[in-house]
Amino acid sequence: MIQNRPKQHKEFITLSKTVETNYPNALHDPIIMNFAKIWLITKREYLTRVQTKSFLLSTFLTPLFIIGLMGLVIYVTVSENEAPKQVVVLDETLRISNKLVEIDPVRYIPSDESPEVIREEVLEGQWDGYILIESDFLSENSTATFVHNGAGGISFYESLRSDLRDVTREIRLQDNDVPQDIISIFEERPSLENKRINEEGIEEDSNAFVSSIAGILIGVFIFIGLFGYGAILMRSVIEEKTSRIVEIITSSVKPIELMLGKLVGVCLVALTQFGLWIATYAGITVLAAPVAQFFITQRMGSVSTDMVNPGMESTSVDLSFLDQFSINPVFLMYFFVFFILGFLMYSSIFAAIGAAVDSEQDSQQFMTPVMLPILIGYMLNFRIAEVPDSTFATIVSLFPLTSPINMMTRLLVSNVPFWEVLLSIVLLIASVAGMMLLSAKIYRTGILMYGKKPSFKEIFKWIRQS
Amino acid sequence: MSVVIDVHQVSKHFGKAKAVDNVSFQVESGKIFGLLGPNGAGKTTTLRMINHIINPDSGYIHIDGKPVSPISQQRIGYLPEERGLYKKMKVFDQLMYLSQLKGLTSSEAKNAIEFWLERFDATSWKKKEIAELSKGMSQKIQFIATVAHDPDIYVFDEPFSGLDPINSEMLKDVILEEKAKGKTILFSTHRMEQVEQICDDICLFSKGNAVLKGDLREIKKSFGTNTVLLEFIGNPQFLDELKNVRINNRSNNFAEIRLLENTKAQTILSTAMRQVEIIRFECVQPSLQDIFISTVNEHDPKSA
Repeated sequence: MIQNRPKQHKEFITLSKTVETNYPNALHDPIIMNFAKIWLITKREYLTRVQTKSFLLSTFLTPLFIIGLMGLVIYVTVSENEAPKQVVVLDETLRISNKLVEIDPVRYIPSDESPEVIREEVLEGQWDGYILIESDFLSENSTATFVHNGAGGISFYESLRSDLRDVTREIRLQDNDVPQDIISIFEERPSLENKRINEEGIEEDSNAFVSSIAGILIGVFIFIGLFGYGAILMRSVIEEKTSRIVEIITSSVKPIELMLGKLVGVCLVALTQFGLWIATYAGITVLAAPVAQFFITQRMGSVSTDMVNPGMESTSVDLSFLDQFSINPVFLMYFFVFFILGFLMYSSIFAAIGAAVDSEQDSQQFMTPVMLPILIGYMLNFRIAEVPDSTFATIVSLFPLTSPINMMTRLLVSNVPFWEVLLSIVLLIASVAGMMLLSAKIYRTGILMYGKKPSFKEIFKWIRQS
Repeated sequence: MSVVIDVHQVSKHFGKAKAVDNVSFQVESGKIFGLLGPNGAGKTTTLRMINHIINPDSGYIHIDGKPVSPISQQRIGYLPEERGLYKKMKVFDQLMYLSQLKGLTSSEAKNAIEFWLERFDATSWKKKEIAELSKGMSQKIQFIATVAHDPDIYVFDEPFSGLDPINSEMLKDVILEEKAKGKTILFSTHRMEQVEQICDDICLFSKGNAVLKGDLREIKKSFGTNTVLLEFIGNPQFLDELKNVRINNRSNNFAEIRLLENTKAQTILSTAMRQVEIIRFECVQPSLQDIFISTVNEHDPKSA
């Protein structure tokens, strides 16, 4: 038996040389992993993280924030329709006020009172303002004055100006005996409809502004997600290292199994949170239209009884703007694909950093170079939302370190050819595999190294040695 | 006796530093084996390699004739020198997790944990987080984490360091109990008196080398009866006058004197008699401490 052993050993070395040189135990360190153990690690990591206060707070407060934000959007849209503003028209030309009243009998109130009296009434809050049109307004092409209490905003001011222009133009055209057909040319309002063409060639209504905002927001979201959860993972690795429990765990599982288990665990936490958010969001968007309609009808009802103006009742509010909030399922799928891959990529780096250092403060030095590419991707995003199909946008949305953010933005803003999306995903998967292999090497050496903070040079040595 | 742990010509470097240099020793089944040496001698590195946490650069380690692997890991109960548990995790959940990682099913783990918690009067701590426990309590939990999966081999790295006298005594009892059950125990320490009390075999480490190994009694015997234990009343100054001796343990009324070259015990006795009142005079085998120091000196004279 004892004589036999060295011989076994020799065979063993020969065999393992082919696996990995200078590493006698390589044969028993196969790439094959114990998934039952990885699952145990994942389960612990997941359950520990979802029970933390910060997880519960961020999970439940964010939807409240979304509800608040959407409520604000609806409120703003609705309130424009709600209490009609009233402006007194002091018309010295005596020709304009009646035409303004024709346009909007609720908004424009003609009056013969002196500006001083009206001014008092505006100050008292009876009116929102008054327009003073002097007698030479039509002949001298002078300026009318709008005096107001500060309410209304730019869009209200714009609509007043546009009404006044229309009326003035009409009167002038009439005064100069311009033929009716020419007048009607002036009255024409050609409109520009904004439609976006999709893969199947079907045109859909689109709002370029909203989609570029959404594109930037999704980039911000992924950026925060990658870093937020990456930091959680890193802290978790540091915790295991500083509490020294890692030595007990690595006497049961391989470091790479531990790392993978933790990565998947934290990733599932992220997906749980996103899932809850998306579900809440979907619930809100489904409910938003009826709720908004309900409030609008209520307000309209009360307004119309107050205002002695039956014409208002027929006014319905266009709620189609709410469609912009709905989520496209294909897009959702891409979101998860890019987020998960991006997470695996960056978090394996974070895990390696966590393993290399002894405390969070020490991690700063290594964080900077990691953050650089993704920070660049994040900053470029604003430009990409503007020019989503430029060569530069294509390159950064294919480059694996920036694609999780930049491809998502492009997908939202523009129609990206499918092969580009596919190529981006393939490149990302390949880099994730490479990065995880590299990180695992740093991780397995780092978690058992205590004391001094390693330099970059030493970390490269760890990679070469293992 | 069959060999359970076979460490064969194992070396391990960290960068340029040689942590373990061509070390070989064998641990036999059912014995308590002590790995001795000062801090930094390479004991922890060797134990980590036996636990398959790190791999040797050259040489091999076999457990029951097979190379260390995830399978051999499950047979070992390892208590690292640097103790640690998840601070925010409940005692029971933590033990369940660690036992299951060692390959127990959840019902096996549950039974084992219940048994050990009872054994240590710790059942009421089940729902507590480690951070809430005292140091002595968390040491017990740590120990349960090591033994719950009922391993055949125990590897303890400095198991007595940081233990209070009660836990220390308890650990000693458990070690002897497990030995009685036929378990093999390998532990490292730099405190010699524990080794003398419980070890069957030892291996002395110095600067990454195994400088002396074998059966503890045999080793002591081979060093002969060349040590004098002297207890006295009076001025201990006479000790300085003695020639060709090394005084290992010295206080105002006691000295452990190692006789060098051909010094006779009688010479010591007569010198002492002239100056102090002698209470005890005994010729004994050298202490392990003394053996260790002489061996290290022989091996590397500069390190004394």
